[in-house]
Amino acid sequence: MKRLLQKSIVYVLIASLVSLASPAVAQAQMIGTLTGLRAVERDANLAKVSAVLARAEVRDQMKALGVDATLVEARLAALTDAELSQLAQNIDSAPAGGVLAVIGVVFIVLLILEAVGVIDIFKKFP
Amino acid sequence: MIQAPRGASAPLVLSSEPRAVRSAFYSFFTLVLLALTGCATHRNALDPTAVAHLPRRVELTDTPFYPQEAYQCGPAALATVLRSADVAVTPDELTPEVFLPGRKGSLAVELIAATRQRDRLAYRLDPDPRAILEELAAGRPVLVMQNVALKIVPTWHFAVVIGYDLDAQTFTLRSGTIERLVMSTRGFLRTWDLADRWAMVALKPGELPATPDMHKYMTAAAELEAIGRLEAAKQAYETAREQWPNSAWPVLGLANVQHAGGDLRGAEESYRAALAIEPDNIVANNNLAELLLARGCLDEARAFAARALKHATGTPLEQATLSTVTKLEQATPRSEAECR
Repeated sequence: MKRLLQKSIVYVLIASLVSLASPAVAQAQMIGTLTGLRAVERDANLAKVSAVLARAEVRDQMKALGVDATLVEARLAALTDAELSQLAQNIDSAPAGGVLAVIGVVFIVLLILEAVGVIDIFKKFP
Repeated sequence: MIQAPRGASAPLVLSSEPRAVRSAFYSFFTLVLLALTGCATHRNALDPTAVAHLPRRVELTDTPFYPQEAYQCGPAALATVLRSADVAVTPDELTPEVFLPGRKGSLAVELIAATRQRDRLAYRLDPDPRAILEELAAGRPVLVMQNVALKIVPTWHFAVVIGYDLDAQTFTLRSGTIERLVMSTRGFLRTWDLADRWAMVALKPGELPATPDMHKYMTAAAELEAIGRLEAAKQAYETAREQWPNSAWPVLGLANVQHAGGDLRGAEESYRAALAIEPDNIVANNNLAELLLARGCLDEARAFAARALKHATGTPLEQATLSTVTKLEQATPRSEAECR
């Protein structure tokens, strides 16, 4: 029994070593259509961050932002590499639409704040 | 030419305190004025000649309405446009895919991603009000992002534009809990302006937008390919090929999808067809070289790989083409008999 266990461990190790080595040998350098299109327009987002790193970063961020761990992978799989590297940089700051449309209310509140001198927003307009 | 005397600016800086008070007053005054006029700017006006060919009034009354719950305007708005593109989905089903609890909202990029996951093209419109009108006139509701507060204190919102009225100068939206929100053109365009004029429609793969742009359409299709929705990507590429027969990109996209699906013969034919249109296309040259290498046709592969590298030098594709060339150099020569 013990021998069988040892043997199977050895096989598993061999298999994992082989699988580690093989992609380098056989990997085709096919260029995806999206990569090609972005290269044509010299997209600034192209491979700024490696897709692998970006994916890991976005995965952590999503969990930190309260996304159910069982859903994170599916959400990552729906994103392109360029989107992942963009999200890795701005998931905390990119516009997140959520409010009920109370158009004007916030505006009026800010107007009042401006009037009593709590804030001075106008100066920052371009 | 008006030349400001150098000395003139100095006193302004020195007397900063009363000036700050005064400028705050002017700021407030201008802000009130802006509020009263609805922040009228020239660029917000619709050019009458540009929309002369459109119906004066459109309202897509059949568009479903999902009143949003809490912060779920993203899922609600997305479900609305997806329904209109024949995808049976509810906001509740979309929430786990697009809602970020920590941000109390949804990001535009995830709405795009969820659209793709359902085999629909997420086609981003030009940042031009006319683009919205064109889509509405073609019967498609438009998902828009709005900033309903101020530029520096933004409050982001997703809604669906379902109609416009050129005479009354209004837009009609499915928004939040309001089934039929009528906004003045000025008011709507102000909120849209402040959200960088973000707008998209969901297209079925065989469908073209009202004013199709090849690069935008191909990008949306290629995004389907990139996340593995190959069948939908293929349909979109075929639609694109009919629309833009003189471009290599739709055929090239088709080739890539065929290759990814294991149809090597079909892929080779399509790569060659793409190169017949655009002999210097880097991607087509590189990928055909890879395909020929796999078939054992080294000589022919080297020619295509060399051409790919030549045109890729200095572009983001240089590395990929270089590694194809290197791989071909290292490949063991086999007899040409193997090339079949």
